[in-house]
Amino acid sequence: MNQAPLPNIRLDFSLTPHDIRRRRVNQIMLRIIQAAAIVSVVPLFTILFVIFSKGLPQLGLSFLLNGPLEQPTGIVNAIQGSLVMTFIAIIAAAPIGIGGGIYLNEYASTRVARIGELFIDIMLGVPSILAGLFAYFALVPILGHSGWTGSIALTVLMVPVVMRTTQEVLRLVPAGLREASLALGVPLWRTTIFVTCRTALSGIMTGVVLAISRGLGETAPLLLTSQTSNDVSINLGQPMNAMTVVIYQNATSSDPQIVATAWTTALVLFVVALILNVSVRFKTVNNRVF
Amino acid sequence: MESEQTTASKIAAKATRRDTTAVGEKSHIAMQLTDVEAMYGNFRAVNKVSLEIEARSVTAFIGPSGCGKTTLLRTLNRMHETLPGATVKGSIEVSGVNLYGSSIDPVRVRRSIGMVFQKPNPFPAMSIAQNVASGLRLSGMKANKKVAEIVEESLRKAALWDEVKDKLNEPGISLSGGQQQRLCIARTIAVEPEIVLMDEPCSALDPLATLKIEELIGELKTKYTIVIVTHNMQQAARVSDTTAFFNMGPDRGGFLVETGPTTKIFTNPTNKLTEDYIAGRFG
Repeated sequence: MNQAPLPNIRLDFSLTPHDIRRRRVNQIMLRIIQAAAIVSVVPLFTILFVIFSKGLPQLGLSFLLNGPLEQPTGIVNAIQGSLVMTFIAIIAAAPIGIGGGIYLNEYASTRVARIGELFIDIMLGVPSILAGLFAYFALVPILGHSGWTGSIALTVLMVPVVMRTTQEVLRLVPAGLREASLALGVPLWRTTIFVTCRTALSGIMTGVVLAISRGLGETAPLLLTSQTSNDVSINLGQPMNAMTVVIYQNATSSDPQIVATAWTTALVLFVVALILNVSVRFKTVNNRVF
Repeated sequence: MESEQTTASKIAAKATRRDTTAVGEKSHIAMQLTDVEAMYGNFRAVNKVSLEIEARSVTAFIGPSGCGKTTLLRTLNRMHETLPGATVKGSIEVSGVNLYGSSIDPVRVRRSIGMVFQKPNPFPAMSIAQNVASGLRLSGMKANKKVAEIVEESLRKAALWDEVKDKLNEPGISLSGGQQQRLCIARTIAVEPEIVLMDEPCSALDPLATLKIEELIGELKTKYTIVIVTHNMQQAARVSDTTAFFNMGPDRGGFLVETGPTTKIFTNPTNKLTEDYIAGRFG
């Protein structure tokens, strides 16, 4: 045991003024970004609180099932209108958006893809009132103020949402999977459907739901196209009511009873959108494949 | 009974591996490469390679990074052209037919010339069994045998059956890296290719998993023609019968330096470049 004596190590851990200042700045900055995070969610809770406190008292089965001219008054026609027009719109927008997204990411040359992306981004940035304006001038003269024109205006707004999401999730699919499939002698179109899209399916569905949420939440284009109606009907050839339009119209009324209807409609709309989003979130988190 | 066969073939494979020094019966040529050039746009990644690949044997492509060996491998089953801007010149003949002939469908080529990639890439949305059957299912081919039989047979050939037979319905990506790579090999041989290309199949694996794959390659060469790209020279020496050494030219394009029986390349190479590379003086 001829161990050399251990050298004496002396470390000084006492805080210098510099350390103290750094720690103080650190604390302050931490509080600031915490405050920013809190401020960002304040509106959500305020909105929730107001919607529930003002909307809940009126909410009942009759509100959901009665027409606007019945007593007690209800918004069944607006719920129907919103759902029917959004449904028709997504039936059209999903295949166009998914197909276009697949084309841009899987088949188009780099240049075409880049130009395509630019167009989608522009379309995504177009204020929804412009989509309404387009439908108003191009379609209302042919189809009149009707559920159909409303649906088409919504389709115009939904397509880029679906397309962008599709393209982005397809881009996340590892190139190795496509190669593995191609190297097995699987034709490109089958690879695209059964490997690439299959792998990205939950992401694509998220895009579709995002588009549905957008459709449900639009007001401006519907004001210009489907307008409003008191009839309880799902006839797309006629003007149609929508929840957002009811909120817009009733909120500005001088009659507090009608204003209250706006709040309750907002509550219904909020819950519908929430259910949609949460259900998709659960679905996509559980089925995450990459 | 199956396991007896596997053991038998293992012994046979080991025997053949030992016998590679003795130049035995000259087997026939599986692929004939003539002046093969591979381009990425205007960049020539592979320069005029002419090479014969023997059937039912293992051919290794070795060489420093960037010498075009993986690119060349990908021309052999027309995977190279799936990359944007990638093209191939020259001819690659299999049983007298040029794979790049105008009437040849690349999908058919890939069906008979399979490929195993560097990174194990099982399909994440599929179970172990589905992964093995994927080549048949995805191409919409009607199999003669029952799919379950093909799955078992392929997994046995890939020396994975015993490890996964009780969990065939679990996702393919739940397996370890080495098992995933053997799953990918099972998937490749399930479509019954003649030739199997392997692009650094062990580079993402630990030494034990590597050993298993190397043993497997020794078994597979009794039924398939194998071409393997490897960075690991010991691996080339262990598994291959023939070695082709590539290097990067002054124009950064890869070219074939020399090819020959593995024992000769590693003990008595003709070219000074090969000797330096083998000795670890560059690369």
